[in-house]
Amino acid sequence: MKASKRLEGGVTVLSLSGKLMGGPDADVIRDLIKESLEGESKNILVDLGDVSWVNSTGLGILIASHVTVTNGGGSIKLSRVSKRIHQIFMVTKLHTVFETFETKEEALASFA
Amino acid sequence: MSEDVNTNQVCISIPSRMEWLSIIDKVVEGVVELLDLDEDNANAIAISVVEAGTNAIQHGNQFDESQLVEFCFSLDPDNLQVIVHDQGPGFDVEKVLSSDPTTPESLLAPRGRGIFIMRSLMDDVQFRIEEGEGCWAVLTKSRQPSE
Repeated sequence: MKASKRLEGGVTVLSLSGKLMGGPDADVIRDLIKESLEGESKNILVDLGDVSWVNSTGLGILIASHVTVTNGGGSIKLSRVSKRIHQIFMVTKLHTVFETFETKEEALASFA
Repeated sequence: MSEDVNTNQVCISIPSRMEWLSIIDKVVEGVVELLDLDEDNANAIAISVVEAGTNAIQHGNQFDESQLVEFCFSLDPDNLQVIVHDQGPGFDVEKVLSSDPTTPESLLAPRGRGIFIMRSLMDDVQFRIEEGEGCWAVLTKSRQPSE
């Protein structure tokens, strides 16, 4: 998995690509979220448009991110969730935890 | 004289590294192309096989790269069956099967979803554990369209 971070309209956009499946991925995402919460923004958008698949360990990373951001007084949302990932969200009911948007633009506007 | 060969089965083994699950995902993609499945069912198989592999690597072989995980895909006219075999000691099947990660108190738990996902997306999931031999997850998906 690759991850990059940039500030867009007061929202930290975390763009992930590849496969989200635990291990070192967890450290990378945790550190980027920590940086954002400590200085940039408490509003975080995780863009999953270039993530081909997620396993249950990767789901755990997203959940841990949600808990960290929420406990830090912020908000975390997801954009461009593939059909395959959405299917996992439905089965696990994580669609009730994460607010998701079809486009990054819609997601960014929702933070306003 | 040649040995009997199961011409409807493909098996592949990978070392216990998560990265190799990408190869398995590609194999699944090839296998489901042979079946007349819609996108949801094709995704269901791919998600479930990746989950079975994740469990085998993480909990079964405990990331010991010298231990292999074997995946066997078998096709018959009615079903696709995928058997995932690790070298680990197995687990408390009853305990895991009775847990529900979608309850409000479990929804934000960081783990414990893999087998639930498999059982939700496949038509049947069974486990066989043999001391010293490892654990087999047997995943079955009907080739017939869902009702």
